[in-house]
Amino acid sequence: MTSKILHLIGGDADIGTSKTFWIGFVIAVILFALYPTQVSEFRASNVSYYLLNIPLALGMALLWGYCGVLSFGHVAYFGIAGYTYGIIAGNMAGNSFGPIAGVLGGLLASALVAGIFAYFVFYSRVREWIIPILTLVLTLLLETFLGQTAGYQWRVGSVLLGGYNGMTGIPAFQIGSFVFMGYSFYYFCMVIVLACYVGLRMLLNSKFGQVVTAIREDPLRTEIFGYDIRARQWLVFVLSALLAAISGLLYVQWGNYITPSQVGLLSAALPVIWAAVGGRTSLLAVLIATIVLNWVTFTLSSQGNQYAMVIIGAALVITMLFFPRGIVIMLAEWIGKVTNRKNSGAAT
Amino acid sequence: METDALALSLTYQFGTNAAFLFLAALGLIVILGMMNIINLAHGELMMMGAYVATITHNQLGLPFPLAVIVSFFAVAVFGAILELLIVRRFYGRELGALVVTWGISLILGQGTLLVFGPFMPAIKIPGGSYSYGGFSYSAYWLILIAISIALIAGLYWLYRYTNYGLQARATMQNAEMAKALGVPTNRVYLLTFSLGAGLAGLSGALLAPTSTIAPFMGQQFVAPAFITVVVGGAANVISGAVGSSVLLSAIKTPIGMAYGAFLGTVALLIASLIIIRIMPDGISAAIQKLMDRRRTRKTK
Amino acid sequence: MANQFALEARKVNKHFGGVVAANNVDLKIEPGELRCIIGPNGAGKSTLFSLLCGIQRVDSGEIFIQGHDVTHMQPFKRVRHGIGLTFQTNRAYQELSVKHNLLVPNPSFAISKETHQQGRERYMLALEEFGLDQNDDTPASEIPHHTLQWLEISMVLAGFPELVLIDEPTAGMSRDETDHTSMVLKKLNQSGLTIIVVEHDMHFVKNVAQKVTVLHQGRVFTEGSLDEVIANDEVKNIYLGHAH
Repeated sequence: MTSKILHLIGGDADIGTSKTFWIGFVIAVILFALYPTQVSEFRASNVSYYLLNIPLALGMALLWGYCGVLSFGHVAYFGIAGYTYGIIAGNMAGNSFGPIAGVLGGLLASALVAGIFAYFVFYSRVREWIIPILTLVLTLLLETFLGQTAGYQWRVGSVLLGGYNGMTGIPAFQIGSFVFMGYSFYYFCMVIVLACYVGLRMLLNSKFGQVVTAIREDPLRTEIFGYDIRARQWLVFVLSALLAAISGLLYVQWGNYITPSQVGLLSAALPVIWAAVGGRTSLLAVLIATIVLNWVTFTLSSQGNQYAMVIIGAALVITMLFFPRGIVIMLAEWIGKVTNRKNSGAAT
Repeated sequence: METDALALSLTYQFGTNAAFLFLAALGLIVILGMMNIINLAHGELMMMGAYVATITHNQLGLPFPLAVIVSFFAVAVFGAILELLIVRRFYGRELGALVVTWGISLILGQGTLLVFGPFMPAIKIPGGSYSYGGFSYSAYWLILIAISIALIAGLYWLYRYTNYGLQARATMQNAEMAKALGVPTNRVYLLTFSLGAGLAGLSGALLAPTSTIAPFMGQQFVAPAFITVVVGGAANVISGAVGSSVLLSAIKTPIGMAYGAFLGTVALLIASLIIIRIMPDGISAAIQKLMDRRRTRKTK
Repeated sequence: MANQFALEARKVNKHFGGVVAANNVDLKIEPGELRCIIGPNGAGKSTLFSLLCGIQRVDSGEIFIQGHDVTHMQPFKRVRHGIGLTFQTNRAYQELSVKHNLLVPNPSFAISKETHQQGRERYMLALEEFGLDQNDDTPASEIPHHTLQWLEISMVLAGFPELVLIDEPTAGMSRDETDHTSMVLKKLNQSGLTIIVVEHDMHFVKNVAQKVTVLHQGRVFTEGSLDEVIANDEVKNIYLGHAH
């Protein structure tokens, strides 16, 4: 049983299968765990922000990289979960079960919208370009809708939707009387990111994952092996929407607010960019790119640099032109080659 | 009398909605139909057209019709440069093309913000307005409806009677075969992308007086444009663009009138999901199938 | 159900625009048969396979697999009645390893325990005869063309089907490789597997055929033993028609 699980985690659905890799992986996890002991709560909180975007990015890798379906609008599920959490937890303020109810409600709402949307696009067997543009339309409409919810008439219970200024005062996550903030929120994010990564690796190494990858390579060939590819694409879409929802939930718990721009065009571009620059066919590559790119954007924009989005857009164009498989993946392969050469050199 | 006025007003609303959808989607559908590429920088190309028209009209004092024509050519040239430098490398990789053009759109939007600032003085809407039976009609929108019809005729002529049209249709049917027969497919793609970009610029310029001029103004066009393209499909540019904008306007007009513009657009999205469930390849493919069937029945 | 065919097509019609791809095609395949379908280019051989598997829908007519009416079924449901297909142009997953390729098909779609056992034996036989290793990490894009053809046949057998449709298995193969392919297909057939092969290569057809169906312009032109078909002057006309 244990060996089977280890086998699922360690399989070749993602880069890094060697012993050296796993040693490095454990060291990296330990370093991340030690980081908050060395820095202020404010810095740790910034890194929490990079971490909380990772589930969304991994969802993009799952959907686009492994299943071959591109979505430009997964931030819609990020936003739906965030707003739903805000409404539920906000209305249950003071009740310690409020945040948990908010999380469940947020996940459910995102899954519901994603499920209905995915039913239409996958069961219609539409051309592959239709899905990205309809997902984009959905998120743009959501932004437009949320943007015009200013004023007192747009409230759910005691919570105001807030128009372009967004929803504020969203409660932090808590279990019992323990509230996740600052350092503890950092570890909360870290555990969730780790669980998402390991869980997805297991999923993608399983039979289900192998079939999903085969659908990406050749949908018709896979269907003629007896698989209902529509059902699998549907499931992967909903799963990736849930991952986006997890990020959305963490986001509102982190900053205690959310605005419509979180589901706008610029926000929608980011997960696609993280996945493309990292290398969408590897979970780990996307994970690394998410941390690095978030750090870059944060650093640039905190210095008041107006060129942040131009640089990010240029990074996307350059990646697509010159590193179509992703920069992190290509670096990882290069490192693999160099170390292999060294090893074989030492052996002879 | 009152029902007459209402019917006339509905017809006018229907016409303006259809013209808006047609203009917003035209450049996009030309590129999609010919090259199987979705140009996600479409909204920004429209924005560019609006900027060129605004600058040449407001600041250089060019008459508005001339400014619109300048916009067409300026954005067409820009489109040709994009094709040569970037888009060319993505033929046959639909999703790659989508992503790279999205990157371009980010750069264009943000770049415009940096260069020209958050907004520009608008163009005064040309022509006055008429009123009849309590409803008012803008002369400019009536002109836009007429221009849309002229564009349809122009495109039909272009595809039907020019050398480019012949080569473009051959390339669309079977690029390999066309190439083997000596059609310069690379040049056809270049011209098509440039034409699509130019049409986006033209539409942007034409719609500029009806909108605020801002770096992200393209966003208001992309949602309706994408829906129009999804419903229209890629099988035939003209029947797709026309059929889809007419059908969608027939949905949007009553809902928009009763519940407001936003719900009108939401209705468009829902309608598009239902329409692709019935005809996954869009209206143009459905029309084509119908004509095929009629033709085979005739030969029998 | 008294006389249950492995596969039966009744008056199947299909046209694309003005082109008739299938014209009242009747086809009856007995269980355990190895049938060759031949015919000139554009005779509708590959379209027939598409119609049988449901990739294309028939305009009219009926299709039965193992006695089940599958005419209105989605492709993936037909496959679960024990049918497998290799495509005319090889469609092994180029970017995936040989190992991964062989893992994709699902043996649990096999229709009974008995067929499950037989299916495993046939699959093992194919792997051994074709020299394929289930744990080979080589990407499919890096193996030779003929091995790729064998890989796709093996993949189809990994789903433990009762009936396989094989479209031009020996296209681009050398004489030796063709002979080996026909030998393996005959062995598989002897184990009870029903096989329908579309093939151009008459050498291959001579090697394996029990019964041959000639398609021409979407119609079943004639059917019979290879000798009967070859002796038919009109068949010669179809094939050599250009020479007149």
